[in-house]
Amino acid sequence: VGLDKMIVDDVGDVTVTNDGATILKLLEVEHPAARVLVELAQLQDEEVGDGTTSVVIIAAELLKAADELVKQKIHPTSIIAGYKLACKEACRYIQNNLTISTDDLGKDCIVAAARTTMSSKVISVDSEFFGQMVVDAAMAVRVSDGKGGYKYPIKAVNILKAHGRSARESVLIDGYALNCTIASHAMKKKVIGAKIACLDFSLQKEKMKLGIQILLSDPTKLEAIRQREADITKERVQKILKAGANVVLTTGGIDDLCLKYFVEADAIAVRRCKKVDLKRIAKATGATLLTTLCNLEGEEVFEVSSLGEAAEVTQERICDDELILIKRPAARSAASIILRGPNDFYCDEMERSIHDALCVVRRVMESNSVVVGGGAVEAALSVYLENFATTLSSREQLAIAAFAESLLVIPSTLVINAARDATELVPKLRSFHHSSQVKAEHEKLKYYGLDLMEGTVRDNREAGVFEPGISKIKQLKFATEAAITILRIDDMIRLDPEQKEESHYQKARQQGML
Amino acid sequence: MMGGGQPVIVLNQNTRRESGRKVQLQNINAGKMIADVIRTCLGPRSMLKMLMDPMGGIVMTSDGNAILREITVQHPAAKHMIEIARTQDEEVGDGTTSVVILAGEMLAVAEQFLDAKMHPIIIIQAYRQALEDALELLNSDEFSMKVDLDDEQKMVEVIRSCVGTKFLGQYGDMACRIAMEAVKIITVETGNTVEIDVKKWARIEKIPGGRIEDCCVLDGLMFNKDVTHPSMRRRIEKPRLILVDCPLEYKKGESQTNVEITGETDFSKMLELEEEHVRAQCADIIALKPDLVITEKGVSDLAQHFLSKANISVIRRVKKSDNNRISRASGATIINRTEELKEEDVGTGVGLFEIKKIGDEYFTFLTGCTNPKACTLLLRGPSKDLLNEVERNLHDALFVARNMRLSPAVVAGGGAIEMALSHALQEKAKSVSGIKQWPYTALAQALEVIPRTLAQNCGGNIIRLLTSLRAKHAAGEKTFGVNGETGELCDMKELRIWEPLAVKQQVYKTAVETAVMLLRIDDIVSGSKKMKEESGAGAMPTDESMMQ
Repeated sequence: VGLDKMIVDDVGDVTVTNDGATILKLLEVEHPAARVLVELAQLQDEEVGDGTTSVVIIAAELLKAADELVKQKIHPTSIIAGYKLACKEACRYIQNNLTISTDDLGKDCIVAAARTTMSSKVISVDSEFFGQMVVDAAMAVRVSDGKGGYKYPIKAVNILKAHGRSARESVLIDGYALNCTIASHAMKKKVIGAKIACLDFSLQKEKMKLGIQILLSDPTKLEAIRQREADITKERVQKILKAGANVVLTTGGIDDLCLKYFVEADAIAVRRCKKVDLKRIAKATGATLLTTLCNLEGEEVFEVSSLGEAAEVTQERICDDELILIKRPAARSAASIILRGPNDFYCDEMERSIHDALCVVRRVMESNSVVVGGGAVEAALSVYLENFATTLSSREQLAIAAFAESLLVIPSTLVINAARDATELVPKLRSFHHSSQVKAEHEKLKYYGLDLMEGTVRDNREAGVFEPGISKIKQLKFATEAAITILRIDDMIRLDPEQKEESHYQKARQQGML
Repeated sequence: MMGGGQPVIVLNQNTRRESGRKVQLQNINAGKMIADVIRTCLGPRSMLKMLMDPMGGIVMTSDGNAILREITVQHPAAKHMIEIARTQDEEVGDGTTSVVILAGEMLAVAEQFLDAKMHPIIIIQAYRQALEDALELLNSDEFSMKVDLDDEQKMVEVIRSCVGTKFLGQYGDMACRIAMEAVKIITVETGNTVEIDVKKWARIEKIPGGRIEDCCVLDGLMFNKDVTHPSMRRRIEKPRLILVDCPLEYKKGESQTNVEITGETDFSKMLELEEEHVRAQCADIIALKPDLVITEKGVSDLAQHFLSKANISVIRRVKKSDNNRISRASGATIINRTEELKEEDVGTGVGLFEIKKIGDEYFTFLTGCTNPKACTLLLRGPSKDLLNEVERNLHDALFVARNMRLSPAVVAGGGAIEMALSHALQEKAKSVSGIKQWPYTALAQALEVIPRTLAQNCGGNIIRLLTSLRAKHAAGEKTFGVNGETGELCDMKELRIWEPLAVKQQVYKTAVETAVMLLRIDDIVSGSKKMKEESGAGAMPTDESMMQ
């Protein structure tokens, strides 16, 4: 239930977001130590995709705790050693005791995990709707990695934004949506049983490369060259059409003179597609992205095998724009999400949220394990580490205890952001976890986490609040590493910009020394 | 950060950061401000705004989107509000003023809850829930009603209520007729999908002069061009039409070709060749015996000569989009290579080709098309600024007509539907549990802003009117609203004011979602990257010193 930040840059562009990494990227942080934290968020974003805010909060809290310890004249190296040990223990404990296999929970938990990440975002109210959508999208782009497992290349999920309508009317398309329009209005708007050719060259009048000149001695040949220029392209188009293509997508342009042939052959031609889009379309439909029609013999041919197939290609009007939709491609399923919202800022933020959710879904499905969210893991770890600390008699004990204390920042921040009483809820949560770890019969209590809507503590396993285990582990590891990096520093030397030199020079010149 | 003694500079010092309640209140105020700007533009008694742009141009309009587009705002939240007017315009075309006023009001009613330290998330949840309920109610038969598309009377009524609030209101009948006709022309039904692309196929052409009553829809097209040569025919009945998008003149090849001339005769031979090429092109065209050739590119004098000798009129440098429309209206195919001309490519759908002189300029008319599918709306009026406003009004009317065809359902206008929804939601609010009930009720009350503004704009007694309106709705009379002309209470059924359901739905969705987005913000960070200027200034003197 976090709130958003609005960031205005010098040009006046507005970004509204609550994604930690995005906020920090847009803030121009100058302090070198603070930069470490910003990079930390970015790292988490790249690795896991979610939990960017948490990682920064934990790291900052660890530093705060370390500061206290340093004031008590504990050497930073002891703190570092303690933090490292604590982090290791914590990760081990998460893996052994707190993770739940998705097989035990059934399919619903994946949707639940997606919903959990979205609960803090702008689309929280529609999280059920989007959760399902995200999971469907991730399933659609699933590819086997050949070892019995699956990979989820979430980048293959194409997210398009169009303002208008409401968030609820966002749609998931089984296929690929392309933000282009057909080259000529005379073409059909819909092709069923499409055979798709993906070209990476222009269908324009053939033109010699720059610097190549043709010298003629017979002026009558000039006309022939002109004629030939037009014919080369015409032949190419006809070769492509003869191979059976009825949808031609190209990254380059298509001259008006070629359009007629496409129209006559009842084919759709689309010009100026993005190359990334075409690559994905080629993959999904089984087409080959051709950069030239030449074969090894130096002749120009268009192989039927390089055509891709899809059930349907249509052009649809969404908002004020038109989109090409390639539905149900043959080789591999693809997914595109078209987001709708009241304005562009809203759509941008939705895209970020959907991206986070996709990352989470991927992590959950790849690792097949989840942990309980809502501060449950942090509370459990905190209790566990405190007990663990007391078993050590060395100086690290203090550091580990501080680590344990710091972890509580997550549940307490959650509670405060939800406008509840942190002093009441966090101890309650801790006590639940303590009894779960001490008494065997209360084992179930370890799944207890916060219910921020009602402001109570509940069994979050039942409630379906899940996060990918890997995200939590990475968060702890990254946060600890970052804290350690900063703790190691005891001296800062700032190199002043070289302008000083120049002013010396100027001064000297003014004084007439030069 | 680390709790050191002296302050640690973390952020760039040029950034300004504001957070907490102040930001929330600021956002709300920004929203209200924008709503206030166009508040007087709602309803039949709306006023025009005159806007001057930095270049000195004048825009006169009562269209919400057009106004907001022109004003430049600083506050980021205000930018949000402006964006939604655009969204509304692009999605449904009408209701741009209502959406901004409504969003502003929804923000305003949230203020009291923020003051009462209610968490924004709770307000948001309540808003979203209310929106869901409202949309559900809107779709039910009690609030909306289906319209028979063939019932022209009803369609005209709907368009009239849209146009009625605008400048064109005085010419309501004419505007309705124009919009209806235009949409009917460009509608293409393929199987079960209906395609109506107003932007592409209905062109609005403005010619200052004449009276507004002279505006009309052509069953064909018109564009601002004349034949290339005065001796060509200016009036042809049932012309055979050829469209080309290549130049009718000699064009060099794309590749760089150099010719080395050795013999003296070679040069004249080359020129001859060029001539020959043009002659061949013209021969291809003449072979099909057209009466009219229209090209997107240029026509050389030589080609003109050949064609005019064959009694063919030529029009050159027509816009691509115009050419597409002509192609659609006449059934001709646009040809790029004259060698490939075929009999089928000739368009015969046009009834009359005529060039008329209006004012100081010549205009080509292609009218009497048998199956137009594309049309030009010819607007006349005293001044350019006025015509621009008429165009915007008609654009709205066209969109309304289009929406009606796509989703034929209407709700009662004149604030009646808002009042009815507000009443129904307030009833529903009683079953909402917890503190959510407050914002839920507030949202319902916020809907009343539409009838209230209507009443305000026509100078009615707001309090008396609204209370009696509320009483009517409580008694179950769902179609009672404000008569925007007189400021009296009346039944919208009798007054025949209807609005398309699609527009209203979009208004509520956009307004609520924008309000939600703005309420979620608790921090604004602005201004950065100012450092460059300083370093630039520092570098300047050295450059100068180098010069010396």
